[in-house]
Amino acid sequence: MTRDITVGQFLPGQSLLHRLDPRTKIVLTLVFIIQVFVSKSALSLCFLIVLLGVLIACSHVPAKKVFRAVRPMIPVIIFTALINIFYVSGNPVFHYSFIRITDQGLFIGFTLFVRLTALIAGCSLITYTTSLNQLAAGLEQLLAPLKRFHFPVNELSMTLSITLRFLPTIAEELDRIIDAQKARGADLSSANLYKKVHAYFPIILPLFMSAFRRAFELTNAIECRCYQGGIGRTKMNVLRLSRLDYQAIVFFCVAFGLSIAFNLYFPTFF
Amino acid sequence: MAIIELRDISFRYGTGTPFEKQALQDICLSVEHGAFIGIIGHTGSGKSTLIRHFNGLLRPDSGQVLVNNEDIWKHPKQIRSIRFQIGLVFQYPETQIFADTVARDIAYGPKNMGLDQETINQRVREALSFVGLDDSYLDRNPFRLSGGEMRRVAIAGVMAMRPAILVLDEPTAGLDPEGCRNLFDHLEQYRRKTNTAIVMVSHSMEEIAEHVQRVLVLDKGRIVLEGSVPSVFAHAGILNQFGLDVPQITKALLGLKKKGYPVDTSAVTVDQAENELLRLFEGKDDE
Ligand SMILES: Nc1ncnc2c1ncn2[C@@H]1O[C@H](COP(=O)(O)OP(=O)(O)O)[C@@H](O)[C@H]1O
Ligand SMILES: [Mg+2]
Repeated sequence: MTRDITVGQFLPGQSLLHRLDPRTKIVLTLVFIIQVFVSKSALSLCFLIVLLGVLIACSHVPAKKVFRAVRPMIPVIIFTALINIFYVSGNPVFHYSFIRITDQGLFIGFTLFVRLTALIAGCSLITYTTSLNQLAAGLEQLLAPLKRFHFPVNELSMTLSITLRFLPTIAEELDRIIDAQKARGADLSSANLYKKVHAYFPIILPLFMSAFRRAFELTNAIECRCYQGGIGRTKMNVLRLSRLDYQAIVFFCVAFGLSIAFNLYFPTFF
Repeated sequence: MAIIELRDISFRYGTGTPFEKQALQDICLSVEHGAFIGIIGHTGSGKSTLIRHFNGLLRPDSGQVLVNNEDIWKHPKQIRSIRFQIGLVFQYPETQIFADTVARDIAYGPKNMGLDQETINQRVREALSFVGLDDSYLDRNPFRLSGGEMRRVAIAGVMAMRPAILVLDEPTAGLDPEGCRNLFDHLEQYRRKTNTAIVMVSHSMEEIAEHVQRVLVLDKGRIVLEGSVPSVFAHAGILNQFGLDVPQITKALLGLKKKGYPVDTSAVTVDQAENELLRLFEGKDDE
């Protein structure tokens, strides 16, 4: 049941992508997504898609899994693309009463479809190959410069890792409470919305009580260990860029440079 | 006639995923009216999984669960009515309390049964008395009670449905010795008074030895030993092999026997052992 909803979707492995530093992956993914969205040239976009395909192959993540991550978003993507098809002005290719489809609209709709799909596939690839803890650590380090502007980076990452740590625990707890109330005859299958909300009350309330209890216990435990925010804290596992990271960065610089060049020299879509 | 009968129950978690896990295998078991049965087994042996099959919270992959000789999964839509007959008290049941008064929380089960208000009130009082709390508790805030009292309120919440079997998963976990004794006294009285069968999962061999009539030993989802208390605890070696122990008093007698004293090691409670030791010493005096 709820236990099936694993937090994140990390697939442990030893592929090139798994071994990269999370910071490298976060930054490169971001740059990749930006490129996918600003590319105006068909050649460049095709190139980026091929690049994504190569990355998926390097990651040892089954293509099926990536597709499964994209699939739930497909209706949204198609909807967004359709809206663009109908609303972008240009040379009409189809006209029927108020429906007007233009060549420009078709392009934009289609490329938007490709772009959004690539966006989700790219994001899923990083979450498949990076554990959530690693992602959090990478994000913390990337945001570290913001400390200068009194942005609470350590606190933020602490909150994030505590949340990640406790989500499965709370999911388990939820399972248990649901079972306990079902054992007392709770009927959760009612079709009537009012009744349904009512039926969930005896489940949500104990869940909150237990979440608060855990929070208080954790607060005490943290205070007993003299936690005072990020001041002077060091890490057990310090992130270090390896040779592989530098190689990846060089590779992507070349790739992104090519993509920019395509945009500059073959700016149109055909 | 058995109230509930499990026939060759097998169950696995996460079928078709990498986390697939055989949790139960070929479990057969039946519970008669008024019986007191204990289930022991080390952590992960499948005790909690087993009791979730009693009232249809889990559906076995194969095998049948019969309540009053009828397969409970014949009409899956009516599984809720089974839950009123087989009362299940989970581990740390106090965490499932949600209402603002003790009375309202205990009334949750009977209310779900669709009883009228008068019957519900009567059942709430009755259940509260079964766990040894008086009517002054009815309007109290359950979250302000002590841990032991909260647990008793939660157990009363299941008793109020008047199930034919009360199943408890480690009911004494986290209670102090006084609280444990108190709880058992009330459970025993409740069983005698209402002829409700009790099935109890426990970690404590002393509790099992002291209270139950029949013991099931679970290991890796299978029943590996079954029988009366003395017959099960006579197999100290086998129990050890499954990561379990015999009651301390039995261990003491086994120790004496090893030293060459002619004691009968079938005693499992302190009283029995006392008699046995007195017999032994008196025997010596005679010489
Ligand atoms: N919801 C679940 N999903 C997957 N595996 C589970 C689940 N609940 C229990 N298990 C596994 O099934 C086995 C039996 O668990 P359980 O019945 O809780 O044992 P016990 O109560 O005897 O400690 C354990 O190995 C446990 O890890
Ligand atoms: Mg258990």
